[in-house]
Order: sequence, then structure tokens, then C-alpha cells
Amino acid sequence: MTEFLQALILGLLIGGVYALLASGLTLIFGVMNVINIAHGAFLILAAFVTWSLWRAIGLDPLLAILLLTPAMFAFGWLLYNATIRPIRKAPPAASVLLTFGVALFLEGIMGVIWGNTSHSVRPSYANDSFNIGELFLPKAQVYGGLVAIVVLASLYLVLTRSWLGRAIRASAVNPQGAELVGVNVASVAALTFAIGVASAGAGGAIASVLYPFLPGSHYQWIARLLGIIVLGGMGSLPGAVIGALCLGVAELMTVTYIGPEWATGVPYAFVFIVLLLRPQGILGTRLRQDVATA
Amino acid sequence: MTDAGTTAVADGTLKGGGAPPSRAPSNALRSPWTAVIALAILFVAAFPVVSDDLYYQNMFILSMVFAIGAVGLNIITGYAGYISLGQGAFIGLGAYTVGICVTDIGGSPWVWVPVAGLVAGALAALLGVVAMRARGHAFVILTIAFLFLVQLLATNWDGLTNGTGGITLPIPTWSAEYQYWPFYYALFALLAVSLLASWWIRRNKFGMGLIAIREDEDKAATVGVSTPTYKILAFAASAVFVGMAGGVYGYYISFIDPLGMFNILLSVQIILSLLLGGRATLWGPVLGAFAIEWLNETSNNEFGGGNARLLIFGGLLALVVLFLPQGIIPTAKRWIESWRTRGQTGLAGERLTDIDLPDRTAPAPAAPAASARPLLEVNGLEKRFGGVRAVDGASFAVPEGSITALIGPNGSGKTTIFNLIGGTMAPQAGEVFFDGQRIDGKPPWRRAHLGLGRTFQITRLFPEMTVLENVVAPLREFHIGLLNADAVSGREARRAEELLDFVGMRKYVDVRASALSYGQQKLVELAQILMLDPKLIMLDEPAGGINPTLIERIGEMIRELNARGKTFLIVEHNMPFVLGLCNPVLVVARGQTIASGTPDEVQHDPKVLDAYLGEDFRLEEPVGA
Repeated sequence: MTEFLQALILGLLIGGVYALLASGLTLIFGVMNVINIAHGAFLILAAFVTWSLWRAIGLDPLLAILLLTPAMFAFGWLLYNATIRPIRKAPPAASVLLTFGVALFLEGIMGVIWGNTSHSVRPSYANDSFNIGELFLPKAQVYGGLVAIVVLASLYLVLTRSWLGRAIRASAVNPQGAELVGVNVASVAALTFAIGVASAGAGGAIASVLYPFLPGSHYQWIARLLGIIVLGGMGSLPGAVIGALCLGVAELMTVTYIGPEWATGVPYAFVFIVLLLRPQGILGTRLRQDVATA
Repeated sequence: MTDAGTTAVADGTLKGGGAPPSRAPSNALRSPWTAVIALAILFVAAFPVVSDDLYYQNMFILSMVFAIGAVGLNIITGYAGYISLGQGAFIGLGAYTVGICVTDIGGSPWVWVPVAGLVAGALAALLGVVAMRARGHAFVILTIAFLFLVQLLATNWDGLTNGTGGITLPIPTWSAEYQYWPFYYALFALLAVSLLASWWIRRNKFGMGLIAIREDEDKAATVGVSTPTYKILAFAASAVFVGMAGGVYGYYISFIDPLGMFNILLSVQIILSLLLGGRATLWGPVLGAFAIEWLNETSNNEFGGGNARLLIFGGLLALVVLFLPQGIIPTAKRWIESWRTRGQTGLAGERLTDIDLPDRTAPAPAAPAASARPLLEVNGLEKRFGGVRAVDGASFAVPEGSITALIGPNGSGKTTIFNLIGGTMAPQAGEVFFDGQRIDGKPPWRRAHLGLGRTFQITRLFPEMTVLENVVAPLREFHIGLLNADAVSGREARRAEELLDFVGMRKYVDVRASALSYGQQKLVELAQILMLDPKLIMLDEPAGGINPTLIERIGEMIRELNARGKTFLIVEHNMPFVLGLCNPVLVVARGQTIASGTPDEVQHDPKVLDAYLGEDFRLEEPVGA
């Protein structure tokens, strides 16, 4: 029972971090109809920068979020305007291939700068844990999960309470209509992409404490995040949160009861099962591209 | 509800066009390209014999592995339009099949190479089953998940694959004098066979269906293309040869492990080859594969591989998408074509002349015999979008042999009714009977096979296909053997040309559909569904957006087809056209049928005047009456 409870709580905490990371990905998809394959590479990039800051000046990884979020926002904005904006009207396949290319390129750059060895950020509390009864909760996991929830909550506030948030939602629902009522959809798309990348920045800083990483880790991360948004329903923010919590718990349960070597397979299993049984995911409205008769 | 589809172009607008390329095969043979290709083939075929340079022999071997992968990927990505980022998985699956069979069962690796193809094909078909309901992005995600999943299985399933320890294959037994020749020529033969398959698919009914799926999957279903079957077969076809090549490749490098065999960079190299060379072309994937493998070797030798390879492949992928989205061969073709046709007027802009029309007399619109049985019967059909009742219990019948009109105000649910009958939408309630069979619940292609053909309010031709290809794409029935039927020459093509002759578009057989004017697209779409030899032809606003001469012409065609036994159901707003042509006339308003009768009865029915025509409706002069 303790074992189960422990896996459940840790799963939910890690799920909070996944939720933050997947929100950016699903937001970009919802507004732009772009699957950002480079999302995993963005978060690994943020993790490496966090590592460098921690190594150089001893900056706490969770405080590094304050620097990384605006920096990654700017990076995302520039990248969008340089690469994705020109192919905004191209068939959706183009953006998948483009962001895939960006992911590979970033992996190469990170390999040149930081080398292809495993890194991890170990702040002072990395080996401590909270012990509640028989439960054993590592402090890094608890702090990371809580910070992720705070960042995610502020993202929600921006999306629901600000003009930008309304413009983003309008562009997602009906780009032509948004254009007609004075929303510059291209600029909103750039800002949305930047917000998505910024959330990968915050999430990457947190993830750097939780998992060891190397440049090639981004494949595993993008697979995990894609599994989440497919399960939750592509383009749905609440869906991303639900999907992330499910994945976090499912991974921890797999580690506990089946074996850690199978944990990476959980998101792939999600993708296969969801596409077979309920292609629109838990909360997704059926994509317009979906088969009408299915 | 309007149907999103090809861009509507006002009638008569000039849109590109260009003279049709010559279709004479003898011409193609004389082209300088054929000589270049023949020389390249000879060079690759003779290389190991004339040169003993193992560096280049190795490079050509790897190029051929990726070329086979790219030619296969072209079937699903180039023809059917489905992007796969995990195609490299089939190289690994093929290699593992050979490795496992040799280790556990024994025998020469060559014996197991065909088995490797079968295993790859079967797993790809399975992937196709999962992908049946996934389109676009969901499919891309699925292919990534597939690649990582098989890699995970190869890593963790120690008993079968020896995990990360990998499998070592026996060393070749032939004399060192022959170098890598057996590998080289085995791959050469596989490449030749896969190219032959690709060439044949591009010409037959199967390939036409795949391209139709790429261009407009829902529309393809309405012209009888059983899309799930096509997709599953296409996935299997794309994997068989690359699976065999993977088997040869595994034997060639003699060591198989999960990291090397399921490395995502193999997939990157395959997709990059296809994109660079040119999607949906025959030779593009081969050209791309040789270029990319050369780049791969260069990055390994000059820059130490690893990160340099990632930078080059990643950067090139982004650059190709941004600056060369069509790939080398299509871009080059386009340049040559625009250079060759400079200064010429597009054929599409020519005025339609009466000479195009076959002589035919227009019989007076005949009322259907009172005893005519209903060909189509609709009972209590309902369709809601959220809270809106677009179709709210519509019931009517279309008598066999009639030209029945379905009229009503905008938003009254006419097109939705069409979609429900055609099967592009599923009703919440109600029944549809066609030719004595209940058809609601059947997929659109089954309805097309039963004899139901429909056009769309905004024409939905397959824009990148030629007029001829558009017309040969439909399938009247489905069985596996039919997929093999030649489509662009032979019986099907002759039939298509006859139909194009009937609608007066024979001259345009080789023009791309997107280059046609809107009115011309309507005529081709009519020919397209006539290819189905339908019992019932449903036309959604045949007279909308086109000029009066053409309207009259379409009216004549409808009469002639009706005289030959075709039943029509027509949605139209042009009242003179409807009232001069159709009998009976059905009127829908707010999703219900409110009246039906002869044109005369309907236009004097107070309910109809109130709901649709207006109190002051007077029909001056019915066209063609």
C-alpha cells in the first residue's frame, strides 16, 4: 500500500512537470496546427543552460526559471519568425519536418557545446527527502512539482485573463474571424510559439534536477510529451494536464510494478491505444481532419 | 454547410495552365533524361566490376539501402501524402529478422531475406490498421512512437534479440576476390524491383487512389476509394522492400544492435533523400539517397561524424522545407516547363465553343411514370451540430428515372442532406434506402460502389492530378485484383476519354485540374462521377458560379444522361434552370421537407412562396422549356 501511495504521489508530482511542458506543446498545436517536434530539444537546451548557470555561479535551478523563461521566450519568438512564419500557409507536413530539422540541429549544437555525456544538476537539497510516515518523497521532486504548478497556473491566468490570451484563443478557434476583428494572427502565432518555448524553458530547468540528460534525450522527451497530448486530446490545455498526470502516474506504476526498463514505453503505448480506441483523446474535440465516418 | 475543397475560381479566370505535355511514349524515350538515367544505371551496375575501390563500393551499397527505403517511403509519403518519421524502423526490423532466424534456426542469411520483407510488410500493415483512423499529425506521431517502441522492444526483449548485446552474423563464405559483390547486386536487384513497383503503382488504379487520398481523402471516399484498405496496403507496400534491404544490410555490416539499427538518423536519411530528390517522382528518391549518403560519408570523414552529421542533416532538412519544398526533380521540371512554354496562352483560358459539343437533341423533360419505384428513399433523417438542427426529420423519395430537384433557402440543410446520403457525415437518426438497400451506416465508398455518385457545391477535383487522372481515379467496385488494373492507358483510360468527350473536355486530358477554370472543373467533376456508372447522380448546385452558356449546356447533358436511364437529384438555386429541368421538385426549409410536386404545383404552393420563393415570384421563361 505504501509502495502504491508513494508511486501515486511521485507520479502526480512528476505529472505536474509534464503538464507544464505539454501545455506549451498543445498550445502551439491548438493555435498554429503545428506539431513542434523541437519541443523536447528546447527543454533539453534549457536544462543545459541551467546546468551551466549552476556550475558557473551556483544558481539554484528553480531560481534559474526566472532567467530562462524570458530568454527562451525571446529565442522562441526569433525562431518562429525566422523559420516557421515563412511556411505558415504550407501544408501541415512542412512544419513537422521543419521542427524535426530544428530539433536535430539543436541536438548537434548542444553536442558541440556540452558534449554527448550525461549531465545532471545537483543542488544542495538533491539528496534530501521529506519522510511522512512510511512515505519517502525526495525534496527535488516536491519542489519541482510545486514550482511547475505555480508556472502552469500563471500561464492559465495569462491565457484566460489577458487580451493576449483572448487573442490566442480567438486565433485558435477561427483564424480568419480573429483577423477580421483586428487580431494580427501572425503576430499572435509568434507570441504563442514564444510562450510555448518559454514554458519548455521553465519545465526544462525543473527537469534538469529530476532526470539526468544529454543532447539525445530530447527524443525520449518529445515522445513522452506527444503521448501526453495525444491522450489528453490534441490542442486541449486541460487535456494536456490530465494526460500529463496520467502519464506521470503510469510511468511510476510501471517502474514500481513492472520494471524501470519498460517505463519509457508507456507513452508509446498511450499513442497506440488512444489512436486505436479514441483518436480524439480524452478531451479533444474531433479534429476536422479526422475521418468523418469513423 | 459548405464543403471545403479546392479554391473556387470565378468562371473564365485564367489560372496558369500551359500546353499539355505530350503523352506519346516514344517522345519520352527520346528525351535527354532517358539517356542520363540509362548512363547512371549502367555506371552503378558496372561499378564494382570495373573498380575495386571498396570505399565507393561501400558508399554505393549504403546509398542503395537508403534509396530502397526512400522509394518505399515515396509510396505513402509521395503518393498517399502521409509523412512517416519512423521509416528507418523497417531497416532494423528486416535486419533483426535475418539475425534472429540465422541464430535460432540457422541457414544462410540470404534465405531469410525474403522473410525479412514479409515481417516488415506485415508489421507495416498492422501499423496501417492503427493508423486507419489517424490523419495528418496523429499519423506522424504514430510513426515516431512506432520507431521508439520497436527500439525499446529490441533493447528489452533479451530472449529474442539478446538486448543491447546485439546479434553477430556469420562472416560471408565467398572468396575475397568477389569483395562485396553479392551484397551490392542483391541491393541493386531490390532497388530495381522497388522502382518497377513504384512506376507501376503510379500508373494503376491503386496509385490513382493513393494520390486521390493525398489530395482530398474525404472526396476520394465518395468516388469509391476504400481509403482504409488503400492505406493499409500502401503501408505494407512501402515496407516490404526496405525490410528485405534491411536484411541484406544487417548481413553486410554483420552486427545488429538496437542503437544502430533503430537509430532515428536512418529515418532522417530516408526522409531527407525523398524530400531532396522530389516526392511523388520515380527517380527523385534514388537521386536524393545517393546525394545524402555522399553527404553522410563526407560529414563522417571530414568533420568526424556525430554532431556534424546532426548539424548537416538537421540544417538541410530545415533548408529543404523552407527553400526547396518540391525537391530537385519537380523544381527542375517546372523550370524547364516554364522555359519551354514561355509566351504561350494557357489552354484553360480558351473559350468553350459549340464544336466541342457532340450533337444531341434535347428531349422535353419527362415526368416520371406514376408507377416508378423510389430509387432513393429518406425517412426521418436528423443531423444536429451542437444544438443546431441542420436536418430535422427530412423524409422524401427520388423516383427512379426522374430528375428530382431539392430546393430551399440557404441554410435549410440541403447540402447536409447530400452529405448524409453520400456518407461524408453520419446522421443521428433516420434511414436512407438506396436501390432497395439500407445504406446509412455504410462507408461512402460502399455507397459509391452501389451506384451513388455526387458532386460538391464547390468543386472538389484532386488539384495536382491531371484531368485524365481525376476521371480514372473512381472505382465502381472493389476487389484486390482491380488495384492492379492499368489506369492511365488501356480500357479505363479509353472510357475516361469517352466521358470527357461527352462533357466536352477531351482536349484537356493532360492539364492539371488546378489549372482549370471553375466551370471546367464542374464539367470534369461530372465526368469523374460518371466513371462510377452511377444509378443516381446527385449534383450540388451544378449551375452555381458559372456562365449562362455553360448552364444551358449542363442542362442538356443532364437531360441526355436522364434519357439514357440515369436518375438525378439536384440541389440548385437557379429557379428557371430547376423548373425547366426537374420533375418532381422537393422543397426543404429548416431541415424538413415542406412540399413536393411538379414544378407548377410547387411554384404556386403558398408554403413554398412563404418559405423560399417569396410572394412576388414569377417565372418569366424557363430555360430550355
